[in-house]
Amino acid sequence: MNTDYQYVVGHLQTALATDPRVNMLDVKVMVTNNKIHLTGHVSSENRRLAVEEVVMELFPNLEIKNELTMFEVAQPAKPEVISD
Amino acid sequence: MIRVGAIADVHFSTNSAGRLASYWSEMHNSVDIFVIAGDLTTHGDPEEVKILANELEVVQVPIIAILGNHDYDSDKEAQVRIELERKGVIVLEGESITIPMHGRTLGISGTKGFGGGFAGACASAFGEPEMKAFIHHTEQLSAKLQSELSALKTDYKLALTHYAPVKDTVVGERLEIYPFLGSYLLAEAIDSAGADLVIHGHAHHGTEKGVTARDIPVRNVALPLLRRAYAIYNLDKFKDQNLISIEEAFHATPDTNKSADLTEVA
Repeated sequence: MNTDYQYVVGHLQTALATDPRVNMLDVKVMVTNNKIHLTGHVSSENRRLAVEEVVMELFPNLEIKNELTMFEVAQPAKPEVISD
Repeated sequence: MIRVGAIADVHFSTNSAGRLASYWSEMHNSVDIFVIAGDLTTHGDPEEVKILANELEVVQVPIIAILGNHDYDSDKEAQVRIELERKGVIVLEGESITIPMHGRTLGISGTKGFGGGFAGACASAFGEPEMKAFIHHTEQLSAKLQSELSALKTDYKLALTHYAPVKDTVVGERLEIYPFLGSYLLAEAIDSAGADLVIHGHAHHGTEKGVTARDIPVRNVALPLLRRAYAIYNLDKFKDQNLISIEEAFHATPDTNKSADLTEVA
């Protein structure tokens, strides 16, 4: 597969959107010096690892920097009154 | 006053069990109704929605949902809907429901909606058939939303969409993808018909609060944006003084027949 920067990013974003292990449209992908940087937020550690797995399968020869972070869910905030 | 709990984009998968139930189980203390604005699943697998439906069993208020783009990914959206309805969730697509509550009525019209973009940078039904089909889909869903909202004769009207109706609530996303996040046609439909509140999801990196051209509040409740188990919006344009407790107000399981009004609960 073509490893030029823009094609790597395009192929990865397509794979991350369509692979049923992930189905994520909002992972940010950057490629620098043959290293793939993954940033953004995921809901679980399983999802974080699944993203890495999909990327690794597609570009096994590129190094992966998995910087995806899990977001914590909190209690609801104070209600907002809609009165107009 | 009617208290609306709202969330979108929970993206349940087969390993999501237990993720939100502990928050949702106490919801009846602060909300009268729970709306879910699409993307209930990761890729529209009925097994995923079964996990979510089990999670929703702890919710003690009526649940109204629409589907989002992820819920269509496996081409099993009809089955997704059935699994939700089996658990008492009311699913709307180009449909409405009226819910009597606390001596008032709340009407909800729901649609997934679709893309196309916003004023100044939007797609048109021009050129190839695929492009026309793309925009016609948005036009059809918007027109149906307008007719459904217009037909509601309720004290409060809530429009529920997955895609964003205004640009305000997608700000934070990359500009290049705005046309895939929503359409001004949805907002135009809502403004024409009137509503007290619009709730949507889809734009994970957007902004919670926005407004239509006619000042109708729009709220983006995507879970990755809110990072809260749900948001609460208290509809109170009548400044009701004698609010009865939710324990008094809600005793019945919602009627899953979408065409029928819910039993009077207050």
